[in-house]
Amino acid sequence: MNGQKLLSIITYGLTTGVGLVAFLYPFWLPALTQSSYQQQAHAGDSALMLTVLIGICLAVLLLEVQSQGISTKTVALLGVLVAINATLRFVEVAIPGPGGFSPIFPLIVLAGYIFGARFGFLLGVLTLLVSAILTGSAGPWLPYQMFTAGWVGLSAPLCRPLVRWLGGPGSKGEIAVLAIFGGYWGLLYGAIMNIWFWPYAAGSAQMYWQPGAGAWEALQRYLLFYVITSLVWDLARMVGNIALITIGGTAVLRVLRRFQLRFAFTYEPAPTGGAAPAGAAVSR
Amino acid sequence: MIHFEHLTYTYPRASGPALNDVSLELPEGELILVIGASGSGKSTLLRCINGLVPHFSGGDLAGNVRVQGMDPVEATPKLLSRHVGFVFQDPEAQFVMDRVEDEIAFALENAAMSPQEIRVRVEETLDLLDLEPLRDRPLKTLSGGERQRVAIGAALALRPQILVLDEPTSQLDPKSAEDVLNALVRLNSDLGLTVLLAEHRMERVLPYVDRVVYLPEGGGPLLSDEPRRVLAQIELGPPLVRLGKALAWQPLPLTIKEGLRFSRAYLRERSAPAAGTASRAPGQALSHSSAPYLQAKKVTVRYGERTVVQGVDFAVWPGEIVALMGRNGAGKTTLVKSLVGLVQPQTGEVRIEGVSTAKRSVADICRKIGYLPQDPNTLLFAETVQEEMMVTLHNHGLANKVEGQWRLLVGARVADPLELLRRLRLGGKAQAYPRDLSVGERQRVALAAITVTLPGALLLDEPTRGLDYLAKHELASLLRQWQADGMAIVLVTHDVELAAALADRVVLMSQGEVIADGATSEVLGSSPLFAPQVARLFPGMGWLTAEDVLAAH
Amino acid sequence: MKTLHPLAWVSWAAAIVVALTTTRNPWLLALILTIVGLLLARLHRLAAAQPEAQIPAVQISVVRFGLLVVTTSAIFNVLMVHLGSHVLVTLPPAIPLLGGSLTLEALVYGALNGLVVAGLFATFSVLNRVLPVRAMLRLVPRAYYPAAVVMSIAVTFAPSALQQIQQVREAQAVRGHRMIGIRSWLPLLVPLLEGSLERSMQLAEAMMSRGFATGEAVRDRRPQLLMIAGIATWLAGWLVRLAWGQEAAGLALLAAGIALLVAGVWLAGRQHPYTVYRPDVWHRRDVLVIGASLLAASAYIVPWPGLDRTALFYYPYPTLVWPLLSPPILLASLGLAAPLLLPAAAA
Repeated sequence: MNGQKLLSIITYGLTTGVGLVAFLYPFWLPALTQSSYQQQAHAGDSALMLTVLIGICLAVLLLEVQSQGISTKTVALLGVLVAINATLRFVEVAIPGPGGFSPIFPLIVLAGYIFGARFGFLLGVLTLLVSAILTGSAGPWLPYQMFTAGWVGLSAPLCRPLVRWLGGPGSKGEIAVLAIFGGYWGLLYGAIMNIWFWPYAAGSAQMYWQPGAGAWEALQRYLLFYVITSLVWDLARMVGNIALITIGGTAVLRVLRRFQLRFAFTYEPAPTGGAAPAGAAVSR
Repeated sequence: MIHFEHLTYTYPRASGPALNDVSLELPEGELILVIGASGSGKSTLLRCINGLVPHFSGGDLAGNVRVQGMDPVEATPKLLSRHVGFVFQDPEAQFVMDRVEDEIAFALENAAMSPQEIRVRVEETLDLLDLEPLRDRPLKTLSGGERQRVAIGAALALRPQILVLDEPTSQLDPKSAEDVLNALVRLNSDLGLTVLLAEHRMERVLPYVDRVVYLPEGGGPLLSDEPRRVLAQIELGPPLVRLGKALAWQPLPLTIKEGLRFSRAYLRERSAPAAGTASRAPGQALSHSSAPYLQAKKVTVRYGERTVVQGVDFAVWPGEIVALMGRNGAGKTTLVKSLVGLVQPQTGEVRIEGVSTAKRSVADICRKIGYLPQDPNTLLFAETVQEEMMVTLHNHGLANKVEGQWRLLVGARVADPLELLRRLRLGGKAQAYPRDLSVGERQRVALAAITVTLPGALLLDEPTRGLDYLAKHELASLLRQWQADGMAIVLVTHDVELAAALADRVVLMSQGEVIADGATSEVLGSSPLFAPQVARLFPGMGWLTAEDVLAAH
Repeated sequence: MKTLHPLAWVSWAAAIVVALTTTRNPWLLALILTIVGLLLARLHRLAAAQPEAQIPAVQISVVRFGLLVVTTSAIFNVLMVHLGSHVLVTLPPAIPLLGGSLTLEALVYGALNGLVVAGLFATFSVLNRVLPVRAMLRLVPRAYYPAAVVMSIAVTFAPSALQQIQQVREAQAVRGHRMIGIRSWLPLLVPLLEGSLERSMQLAEAMMSRGFATGEAVRDRRPQLLMIAGIATWLAGWLVRLAWGQEAAGLALLAAGIALLVAGVWLAGRQHPYTVYRPDVWHRRDVLVIGASLLAASAYIVPWPGLDRTALFYYPYPTLVWPLLSPPILLASLGLAAPLLLPAAAA
């Protein structure tokens, strides 16, 4: 149905747009507000408001993703993958890897690429949520983490056209595209998560909520903050993602594709007649 | 009640049908045992009953299934869940919740029952399976048998009239398996629940079974009749039945009690049977002239406060097969792990060919000892079978990949990979993807991957778990070949019949200590828990397997 | 302590989050942090008394994390913001961004910001301790039933996933595998992934044969429309408040947005018929805690007539001053201590 498709597009567009705006608020907020006392007050609760906003967007997006119908197989598969991914996140300390490196992103990228945007989104969102619950490290930053990880999975199928152009599945181009994509998100994830923390670390209202001292200075300041506190970690995450996808991508893709064969079935009604078609279960 | 009519089913992309023109009528209230080799379509048949086939699996289905007058294909598994409860092999893989009560309530919550009604049903189910004391326990703290009982409870919560179980005990130790099977027998006899059970361990349930359905592999006729009649016509069966058939005991005994009448008469007929002479000579394996290949000396392992292995002395000589047996949690696996260095003993030491392994890495030790873990799947990751072996050699620095081609290092003393595969009956599979192979084949690939370095000893942890009769048989003959080559072999096993057939010596552990160590016939023959069926039939004769009896015949 | 209804705990935590993120007043921060600290200490004592209590796999030390955050943000602020009259040191102005005078004011303000983050962390740490994982999952609205089942499976499966990782590591070690660098991940990941995929199929079968079925696409799109309208309304309310300073109108729009969202979630939930075994029971104390939390939170965000909220916005620049003390807000904040009044002994 066209109306439904339109609604989906609106949902994806709106939530992503609003999410982006919310993530970037430290840069545009100063331009919007005057330095009156009253507005300074509101600037103070904007961190809260934005966390709520991100949470709301996440809720709407999740509903949209779910509304397409998730088969029992997908539910089970997601549950199991979320579990291993969330577990890998906290055994990371035990297994050597560079700095901020964590093996969860490669799996989100690869699964999203193979099983589709909705699957990738759910895998990203729920991995972060479950591991936060399991490790007891939930916090107001959680919606940001979930949203970002969801985006990683949601955007992974964007690699498909590029891969097709570079030689198709199984080619070296495929791994290269995915590795670069994973590396890019490794860096971006860190940058986004830092924006959450930054207003607390650099919360000098006078300095950047002054009229005229606009987005540019805020951005400069942020970059400095980012380079000092997290660039090394995020670079490590980037390198880790690239390396892991380069080394393991082929094998993991093979495993997932082989599994997908069993996953996507069509059922021809039996001669007994009247059977309900079970339909293809793949989220494409 | 359950009715199959010319049912033919083919899995997607399969070369032949998994079920071929099956017609079968299963009456209400019976305890029905479904047997047949793996690949004979047992699981497929069971899954047709609640519509998992074809709703879950896809493929082509022809013919008719009727379950209580309903067509499962039309009705979908969701609706069928009210009529058919289903229990699967692996108790862990079927849980959604993590607490006993919640797990039982899951199906009821999905059926949107009122909380009051759920309470009633949960209580009933807990009582039915004696789970009341466990109701608040997290599932992960339960033993395998308890878990499987919870799975049965969860399947029964919706009060189905039929309970279907697909090899529910294949992952359990004998004691747990017995608990589960006893529970099934009780459900059937007390409640009149129709129970369909696919099971390798026949001996425990056979006495209570009303009907055996035998699915032939490739071609032969499908049999469905009362147990004695079916068992008389097929090769599968517990040792007691096989012996009964060989010696023409009529009516065919199904329990030791029934069998004893025949065995006593048999011994009386054969005047003056010289005890022990008929069995394998027990002394041969025990009088060792040489030094042991692998030896543990006063090994103690503690996990935190808990002592798991307590001052154990243990040794294996070349050319010997030793079965390491004992209850779950007796410390068998831990002992074996300490032999290969996966677990560091707190005191004591392990020696290989007289040299202590202290401070040597696991990788280093494992060139001398092959260790097959319980789940061979954990070993396999490479793209081809051959690659699996080469990766092991590469890990040990014995092979290198040069321009995409594997090269053995000059002078490396290793098995010829292709020759090894032929020996493992994997000759044509060198380029196959390991995960595409059958359970038995995958286990042999794992064996290839650990024995390619030509270790002098081989440790196998529960190698027959989940294997069917044929795969077990192949494993046994393989181990005998290696034994003849002079390998020292340790089997950690619950499988009494396997130990009886293979082992020269049995070491019995309990609470972390070795409580018995001696020739198989001595240790197993006298143990009430571990005695194989034949030893129970002929106490004091030193016979352990049907073959022993027949050889003396 | 654990006998509070999960929603009561969640409201309490939400109120603290509201309070912490809106104020920088040291008096208020000190009060809130003391309350959270006392609760944490009490929970700690309780946990020590019952050793079998569920302990999350990784416990990050609250104190250590707090110290780290407070120092980081104080140092950063002092280096970046060169405002204030109490100059501690002066860096050569030639250094870009960092150059200039380092002031006590900037140090204090940075530390206050750090305290807020530490307080948030501590609050969630309390929440994690009082709410078992299952109770948290039960809070997921019915509209998200499939997602909740996914999470439930994941939580159930996680311990055995950990065990599986261990098994795979052992099995690979036996083949001479060593963890050296990133390449050694492959022999671990592939068997782990394969095994888990296999298991997910078994699980799906088990769930299907127990009457679980979600698969159908949702036809009714009203909930989604409601929620999109909710976001738009909420956003409008926020902007109205922020850019034009229309306090009352903004709040009304924010509330309307939330109402639309809740209606959407409720409506969507009706598409998933299922019931809950042993729903959590409401007690008077739950209502009490929720009421107290709401009251406390409202002091921070609602423009009550007659309430002077200037004390909330403590600001040390340009000269460090003694923070204002607002007795009504302080009094309302005491409502956050309601959980401390609960009897310590729980069933």
